[in-house]
Amino acid sequence: MECPTPDLYLPAESGRLRFRYGLSRRVGARSARLFLFGLFALAAGAPFLANDRPYAVRIDGRWHFPLFDGLDPADFSWLLATFVVGFVLLFLLPGRLSQRKGDRRGMLLTGRCIIFVLLLAAAIGGLGGAVLRLRPSVDYRGLLASGRAERAYFAPVPFGYDRTDLAARERPPDRVHYLGTDDVGADVLARLIHGSRISLTVGLAAVTISGLLGIAVGLILGYYGGRVDLLGMRLLEIVMSIPPFFLMITMVAFFPRSLFNMIVIIGITSWTTQARLVRAECLKLRDQEFLQAARALGLTRCRILVRHLLPHAVAPVLVHASFAVAGAIFLEAAFSFLGFGLAPPAPSWGQMLSVGISSSGRFLWWLSLFPGLAIFLTVLSCNVLGIRLRDRIDPQGVRVPA
Amino acid sequence: MIELADDTHTNGLVKVEDLKTYFPVRKGLFGRVRGHLKAVDGVSFTIQAGRTLGLVGESGCGKTTTGRTLLRLIRATAGRVLFDGREVFSLSRRELRRLRRDMQIIFQDPFGSLNPRMTIGSLIGEPLQVHEGTRGRLLRRRVGELLETVGLSPHYAGRYPHEFSGGQRQRIGIARALALHPKFIVCDEPVSALDVSIQSQIINLLADLQREFHLTYLFIAHDLAVVEHISDYVAVMYLGRIVEYASSDELYQNPRHPYTMALLSAIPRPEPNRNRRRIELPGEVPSCLHPPAGCPYHPRCHMAVERCGRDLPTLTPKADRIDHLAACWVTT
Repeated sequence: MECPTPDLYLPAESGRLRFRYGLSRRVGARSARLFLFGLFALAAGAPFLANDRPYAVRIDGRWHFPLFDGLDPADFSWLLATFVVGFVLLFLLPGRLSQRKGDRRGMLLTGRCIIFVLLLAAAIGGLGGAVLRLRPSVDYRGLLASGRAERAYFAPVPFGYDRTDLAARERPPDRVHYLGTDDVGADVLARLIHGSRISLTVGLAAVTISGLLGIAVGLILGYYGGRVDLLGMRLLEIVMSIPPFFLMITMVAFFPRSLFNMIVIIGITSWTTQARLVRAECLKLRDQEFLQAARALGLTRCRILVRHLLPHAVAPVLVHASFAVAGAIFLEAAFSFLGFGLAPPAPSWGQMLSVGISSSGRFLWWLSLFPGLAIFLTVLSCNVLGIRLRDRIDPQGVRVPA
Repeated sequence: MIELADDTHTNGLVKVEDLKTYFPVRKGLFGRVRGHLKAVDGVSFTIQAGRTLGLVGESGCGKTTTGRTLLRLIRATAGRVLFDGREVFSLSRRELRRLRRDMQIIFQDPFGSLNPRMTIGSLIGEPLQVHEGTRGRLLRRRVGELLETVGLSPHYAGRYPHEFSGGQRQRIGIARALALHPKFIVCDEPVSALDVSIQSQIINLLADLQREFHLTYLFIAHDLAVVEHISDYVAVMYLGRIVEYASSDELYQNPRHPYTMALLSAIPRPEPNRNRRRIELPGEVPSCLHPPAGCPYHPRCHMAVERCGRDLPTLTPKADRIDHLAACWVTT
């Protein structure tokens, strides 16, 4: 029989509790989704939100568009990724998930079309920028102040994440720097916005690697059992005993510090939990008759693993993946804090946290609070979303009216 | 080897010869094999196309293991199974997969045999998709037809197994087994988990389907009353061996093995005034690990003589009826 995962399972008869619980969970899930959606938008639109180059500037009677000229390949890929993900979320997925909505569909569709047009504009804008030549950075603020530039339109946060200003170091939040500046005078808000990219990239990419590895290994160990399981589990224990920090230090000794290395190391050291979860689920189901039925029908082994076993493991895998995203973001912060992570101009939330307690003996509360809050909310949202997702996937669990 | 068959049986669709399934019993730290559990110990029978063989016995006597072994869901220790002239145990994995279309199984537990994560439509459609590459609208139509064949509405295709009752689920299991037009179906206690009122519905459905699609059944049950209705031949199993084999009518009228007699006397009859003489079986089924010497049934037998504890009786035909076999020293 189907066993729901024990935590947060509610018996069907507790109607009132179920309603209250469902309501809070629904609201929680909605705000979590909103937050993560916003974070993704922030990551994609980072150069448009926080940039020291103006959108447009008029110098000697001619208009220049330095912000668009200065976009780099990473910016374009984020814009394209946003377009693709947004398209999938808006058009391909909901049609399958919400077949019951019926009459609300027309309204939803117009809403979707508007967002689609915006997305398309973003994509075209991004691609259009790619055609323009890259130009070196210029101090446009200085140009404006000296009167060479007649007019300029800046982004809402008119600072780049790598623009330092030693004259304005360690400033608490004020009207110029909304969230203050760090030890080299870089704007905290600008770095926070650009840092969302690094956190999201590390979190998602590392979890993708560890998830794929863990699921594959777990399915094989759990389904075949016996000697395969025995040997595989010993291998798994060996991997578990390798601390990611140790591996990271070794890596840093031989290779330059990079985001890619960090992702790979977090990925290949954290798949063991996923593998054990999937394996446990498979062992539980190994003797179930529906697997015998699948074999009797002559289904291929691959199909049995992926179609009949994997769906049962989806709930624990998803719930764990949300924790794993959090773990990866924390680990990235720790690496950066200790100096194994990204080199300083790169804006990492963890690195910013470390500046808050380490520089010049002062406690820069804004450098601890805001990046800390960003990490906390991201992690919380991932968890809430994972739980909600599990409820929707498990057809026998609590079904909260959507 | 025990020869069950007279001449008419030699060309059956399914031919099982001296099938043995032993499970190794491991003990200790290093899992040394300390003995064998002889779940099926030398079973032979033949089923002709379009007929039904009922396989009856107590729980733990090896009925289910027999059924699953001959479908190669459990590895056989020894013996041969011929299906349509092909040897099942020596087929390669690919050949076996092709053969699976022709031999199917209906499971006892209608709750455990359907994947709770899949909709009815995808459960029934899956074999079609895999073996015949049916897709899209055609697949949906075929699934709908199959659901109608087993007496369910095609609208149920989008629902999940937990939304159905036991009888309905068993119908779904049957539809799934039927999807590839098999020739042979092992019905592994298909009604044991169901209410009595539902049991007859399912048995009638199976009988109708047999007529319609010319199916061959191996019908496994622990209840002679259930088997009586659907079987052409009945084999009674005890502790991994067949102890009596006869046509359905013959077995119910003139049982020859004392175990069969005991089973028959346990069938409740709706005639309260009739004088029933019930044979009670003392004790438990002996362990398959340490079967008693001689006839495995003798410790519980009400007719046992001294010889029963010494020699193992073989299946022998009755003098006047060549297709009625029993393994007993007393009644033969």
